[in-house]
Amino acid sequence: MKIILVVISLIFADNSISQTLTLNIAYDYCYSKQLDNAIQSYNFARPFLANKQPLLMHGTSVSASYIFKSEKHFKHGINISYSYFRSHAENENTVNNYNLHFLNLGYLVHYDNPEKWKGFYLDLIFSATSSGLFRKINQEPFVYDDNKSKALGIGGDIGLRMGYEIYVSKSISISPFVLIGYSPYVYSPKNEVVINQTKGLTGKNWTGILNAQIGCAIHLKKRNTERNSV
Amino acid sequence: MDRRNFIKQSCFLSIGGLIVPSSVLTCCRKESLFEDINYAGKVIIVGAGAAGLYAGYILKLKGIDFTIIEASNVHGGRMGKLDGFSDYTIDTGAQWLHGQNNIVADLIKAQNIKTTLDDSVLSYWFNNQIVDSLPKDPFIFENKNLPDISFKAYAQQQNFGSEYDNIVEAIAGDQGASASLLSAYWNSKDEENWTSGDEDFKFEKSFFDVLNDHIAQPVLPNIIYNTQISSIDYSGDKTILKDSNNNTFEADKVIISVPISILKLNEINFAPALPSEKTEAFSKFGMGAGMKVFLKFSTKFYRDELYGGSVCGAYVDDTVGKLTSDNILLAFIMGDQAANLHALGSDSLIANALLQELDEIYNGQASSTFIASSVHDYTSKPFIKGAYGFSTIGMGDARQIAAKPIGNKLFFSGEAMNINGHHQTVHGAVESGYKAVIDILKGIKK
Repeated sequence: MKIILVVISLIFADNSISQTLTLNIAYDYCYSKQLDNAIQSYNFARPFLANKQPLLMHGTSVSASYIFKSEKHFKHGINISYSYFRSHAENENTVNNYNLHFLNLGYLVHYDNPEKWKGFYLDLIFSATSSGLFRKINQEPFVYDDNKSKALGIGGDIGLRMGYEIYVSKSISISPFVLIGYSPYVYSPKNEVVINQTKGLTGKNWTGILNAQIGCAIHLKKRNTERNSV
Repeated sequence: MDRRNFIKQSCFLSIGGLIVPSSVLTCCRKESLFEDINYAGKVIIVGAGAAGLYAGYILKLKGIDFTIIEASNVHGGRMGKLDGFSDYTIDTGAQWLHGQNNIVADLIKAQNIKTTLDDSVLSYWFNNQIVDSLPKDPFIFENKNLPDISFKAYAQQQNFGSEYDNIVEAIAGDQGASASLLSAYWNSKDEENWTSGDEDFKFEKSFFDVLNDHIAQPVLPNIIYNTQISSIDYSGDKTILKDSNNNTFEADKVIISVPISILKLNEINFAPALPSEKTEAFSKFGMGAGMKVFLKFSTKFYRDELYGGSVCGAYVDDTVGKLTSDNILLAFIMGDQAANLHALGSDSLIANALLQELDEIYNGQASSTFIASSVHDYTSKPFIKGAYGFSTIGMGDARQIAAKPIGNKLFFSGEAMNINGHHQTVHGAVESGYKAVIDILKGIKK
């Protein structure tokens, strides 16, 4: 989280050379067959826990995009995003949490066409993904052999964001957006170790992740930027 | 586009593009495997050890008809307890919870069962004296890229002299093996998959009672005792099991949860015969002799944990983590040492041999303070015949092959069939038990 704040601060500090700085906040829906299978196996194998562990499905995402100056419809920029998903189950004597974090840093292609598309825009985002899955029991990090139970991962992601800008002033606009993202391969060999406490019993050492977001963005533009929608 | 149209279109976009697929996916995504499975077939589990009991426990909660057939007159397999010998209940079989990152640890957390970290300090009997450390670190078997030779041969290759033989034997004994049979390479591969944690815990009550109270109790009505399955015919639609008295049992699915020694010795006849790759895989497992002897003394004269005896590789204070005023020393004997003691033929001779060695180590204090002994020889138990399965030289993927189901009819479980590095443990057996049920239900779903 600190890294995100530092990067956002740097972007703000250097806003003079940007065309647009966009900040997004969204509801994030996550689907990973491998993570599902690990949690489903966990629940199946532990009937002594009355309340089942929910799947890692609903989360929130924040991101910042920084689009460079260009007169063309296609522009490019950089994008950083952070997503958080939680699975929380309360049982007698045991409150178990799985916290899944994603941090993406990537290159973004932005398309808008004020004449034809009015306020609609598209962002195609290619990112490197890092993930961290952690377990907490009774609000404390689960520690064994003096180490926190954790699974770190690394992979790639492609995302398509579509939104519609509504101007509130010359330099500020807001836009609702939807985003579909796909991480075909996130190498994270210890996900199953953290969730089901096994290795190679429920799945492979990588996951594929599909996610969908619906959210709202605020776009901060340079004053000389041409207003492209009403 | 005006705002009205925008709102209309974005609504359609959101509903069509995001909310509908997400909602459909959410409905399809169940929290547990096989939530709505409805299976009317019959499952028979052969063997009421930890794996068989846990498989039954899961089947019971899924509402699936099952029977556990047990050859002996007790359940628990290589878990057991001894009351009356001391003022606490002694675990005569498995007694340590190995690590915290496993399903049994989850069970004890959920049930608020008290455990204690076993932080016994290890000492050595080395060159006829008790020492706290050795000139060379003998724990060399967890390194990577070890050769596929025995522990004993590898120690010699690494210039450990014969004075280290009993120490190496004790380290191999921890895997239930003789140092001359346990593969350095395949054992290290097994260790790579180990994810449970390295700390050992002991139960304030007994480990057996934990299993018995929370897992076995619900399935007790489904256990048939004193019934040794001698043949399994899986050639037809139904699988027919026959016991040693020629009684037959019919099942749709069979979970074979007997010790690997029973399969190695072909004590169950299969019709048709099991594929040769399967029987070859069984033969690659090691299953050494194993024995636990509890010695009661009037005073504590011994170290918490001592490696290096020639009669017994590891002597361990059994009272660590227990509420007791008794002094109980556990002689944990595996492999060749257990076979040697087994060959003595009587419990009193076994106890005498151990006391003689303890007298030598502790200057005669053992015999003078000795009160009683209790011998638990797993080699002589007719339906167990050893300690636990270990990886021999040339093991390869034998464990994976051995654990593979046959024809969606025969499923294999038990500690030796754990393919994710947790064999030789209770939690490993439990994992193999629920894995067998998952395999059965997957087959039904197809």
